[in-house]
Amino acid sequence: MKSLLVLLLLGMLGSTQPPASQTVESQPATSPGRFVAVDVFIDAGAKSLAAYQFELKAPGPDVALLGVEGVPDSGFNDPPYYDTRAALNRRIVIAAFNTGSALPSGKTRVATLHLRIAGPGEPQYAATLQVAADADAKAIPATISVAEGATR
Amino acid sequence: MRGAMFRYAAVSLSTFALAAAVIIGCASDRSFQPTGEAGRLTARPGFASRDQFASRAMQAAMPPTREELWVIEKRPAQQEAAPATQPVPGCGALVTRNRENSGFVPIPLKHTDVSASISGYIASVNVKQQFHNPFSEKIEAVYVFPLPENAAVNEFIMTIGERRIRGIIREREEAQRIYAEARGQGYVASLLTQERPNVFTQSVANIEPGKAIDIDIKYFHTLTFADGAYEFVFPMVVGPRFNPPGSKTGIGAVAPSAAGKSGQSTEVQYLRPEERNGHEISLVANIDAGVAVEQVECRSHKASINRTSPRQMQVTLDPADNIPNRDFVLRYKIAGSAPKAGLLARRDEQGGYFTLMLVPPENLGSLPRQPLEMVFTLDVSGSMSGRPIEQAKAAMRYALTHMRPDDTLQIVRFAGNAEQMAPTPVPATDESVRGALQYLEGSSAGGGTMMLEGIRSSLSFQHDESRLRFVSFLTDGWIGNEAEILGELRRSLGPARVFSFGVGNAPNRYLLDHMAKLGRGAAAYLSLQDEPTEVMADYFNRISHPALTDISIDWGAMEVSEVFPRQTPDLFVGRPVILTGRFKGELPSVVKINGRVGNERQVIEAPLAASDAATDARALPAVWARAKISDLSDQAAFDPGPSADFLQQVRGIALEYGLMSPMTSFVAVDSLTRTAGGHGTTVAVPVPLPPGTRYETTVSE
Repeated sequence: MKSLLVLLLLGMLGSTQPPASQTVESQPATSPGRFVAVDVFIDAGAKSLAAYQFELKAPGPDVALLGVEGVPDSGFNDPPYYDTRAALNRRIVIAAFNTGSALPSGKTRVATLHLRIAGPGEPQYAATLQVAADADAKAIPATISVAEGATR
Repeated sequence: MRGAMFRYAAVSLSTFALAAAVIIGCASDRSFQPTGEAGRLTARPGFASRDQFASRAMQAAMPPTREELWVIEKRPAQQEAAPATQPVPGCGALVTRNRENSGFVPIPLKHTDVSASISGYIASVNVKQQFHNPFSEKIEAVYVFPLPENAAVNEFIMTIGERRIRGIIREREEAQRIYAEARGQGYVASLLTQERPNVFTQSVANIEPGKAIDIDIKYFHTLTFADGAYEFVFPMVVGPRFNPPGSKTGIGAVAPSAAGKSGQSTEVQYLRPEERNGHEISLVANIDAGVAVEQVECRSHKASINRTSPRQMQVTLDPADNIPNRDFVLRYKIAGSAPKAGLLARRDEQGGYFTLMLVPPENLGSLPRQPLEMVFTLDVSGSMSGRPIEQAKAAMRYALTHMRPDDTLQIVRFAGNAEQMAPTPVPATDESVRGALQYLEGSSAGGGTMMLEGIRSSLSFQHDESRLRFVSFLTDGWIGNEAEILGELRRSLGPARVFSFGVGNAPNRYLLDHMAKLGRGAAAYLSLQDEPTEVMADYFNRISHPALTDISIDWGAMEVSEVFPRQTPDLFVGRPVILTGRFKGELPSVVKINGRVGNERQVIEAPLAASDAATDARALPAVWARAKISDLSDQAAFDPGPSADFLQQVRGIALEYGLMSPMTSFVAVDSLTRTAGGHGTTVAVPVPLPPGTRYETTVSE
């Protein structure tokens, strides 16, 4: 675990959907990079978590998203979705929902992001939970944290 | 619960995610595939040390003779027991095997599972490719495979055991660099690239011995409707392409023993006729036609059809017919002669998207046609030898004997070059028809496929102003220089209409459909199971009446933009067309279709039926974006001026909608699974030739 940053968001932040943009920024993977996994945890306390959306920022080196993975037996088994329009601007915005009945509560690992890190410096991960919701589509207070995982 | 979540999506979340989730569908069943065979090993002539492996692997790629192939093979337990003294139990061994003595070729692709859900005229298809490593060393698997030419591929998931990783759409070159880097560092990774609109390459890196990795690809596409029936096609194999001398960007067709020798940017390896690779396919299609289905037919394969209601059914490929060597073609006739004009629309935060099925006016069928100048262009290259050429000849015999005396006719045949039956088209008198039939019978298949010459000979002669020129191409379309062919057709077209007939069991549908699209005609397909006279009779029925041409549409209050195809195709009897576009404003209850029949203007009011309740509108953004990519790609290929501008637009639209394109690729890296050593040996998946295809005339050894 190389860095850890916890960002609390109590209550709804409302929609932070970026405006659609045709701007295409290209940052080709020209320098050797390293591949890392970042685990994402959401803690909804006693509430059941049915949906979430967050943005991951990692100032410093060039960070590219290469895969989004769900977590078996977490209630979020299926791979989460990423926002292709945000990705046009190298932003990483991830979301998932669970329409089943096995919903997690408490601190739960909900996703693993596979990243390529290139360039000088270590990324300082900062995750912003844009929304968390329960099965009745009501926003619930929750916190998010991330941790760089080790190769398993 | 589900209702609550969808309400949530609409009211408060306002995110891409749920929209994407709805489009892509909720969770599908995924099952863990057992890893490779827990087999025992034999070694012939002996075990290779690790150091010997690399050099022998090279020999695997390039054996000294065609009779012997080096393979790295793990044998299934039931085949042969390993000696008790085997030095490394559980590992594979480098073995030699005489190809003449054994028909089984181990490959890293075990199974393909296709699951299609068709509602109305939109299909959503999931393709699961189950890769494994039956060898004793780490490998990279490479598989060149087909998908429908209008597939909007928008989902890619790599499964390792129970872990499922969603791949990311990236600019193609960037994705390739990332994949190469991950592969080089030993990470499990996968890459999907598009070589043609209907040909893709799947690469999976660092599959360890005995391990399995699944790749799920999902796409949407619209079905065609012709002569009263919808047609769902799933292509299973890329037919062997001919590439003109000097070509470097084609698709090579080689034997595994000649890997890398084609000199083309993409290469497909083909099994010899006596060989099998163990790759099997399963397919299930769940269909809700939206209206009653009168008749269902699958001539290409054995399939069971379970009708669950007048409009719904499940079609399952027979497990005994599981070799993926030809197109799966399912046709189902709906009640009535044709569907009603139907508008299907969807709005999201980006605006509105629609598809419109434009149906030919009924009065066309009662109007006589003009005299025709009919040109039949027959592919007599080596790949057509045998059954395909016989099918094509049978169809042409029907055509020649059903022409009118006031028509004129010409036959062009091409292989290594092109040849015309007569210097100019001749009147279709009994005598000239007899001569044409003799000329046809004297045509035999062999040699290359210089289709460019065939195009020029068929289109580049003086037009008879008193007749409509209809040019019919009968070919498998197995050429690697599609862009060159289509460019030439576009340049030489003039007033002609082009009708393409795809012959055989795995024709190049991208080329044939695109020829018809550019030529303002229609494509039809003549498989080896089809009755040639039926196919040609449908064509004659189509051209026996005038088409509605020069079409424009009055959309009323609906503000429409970016409609594709850019030029509305002509409407022929029995051939509705589907348009897709963006819109703002109110949806109309009726649209006015302005067109011309012969020299007369026609305005037809087409009341829009309530959209097929069954048709799934959630796919519309992807379907529209795919159509725009196709349009931009055409402009990049054919229009004068800087093609880079068009390609940049392709890149932008593909990234925004998360779609495969010539400029974008899916890549997935498992950064948690790093394997030891180098990236192993690259192993291509050799595929069977389509039935009726002669190995010796199509595959380079």
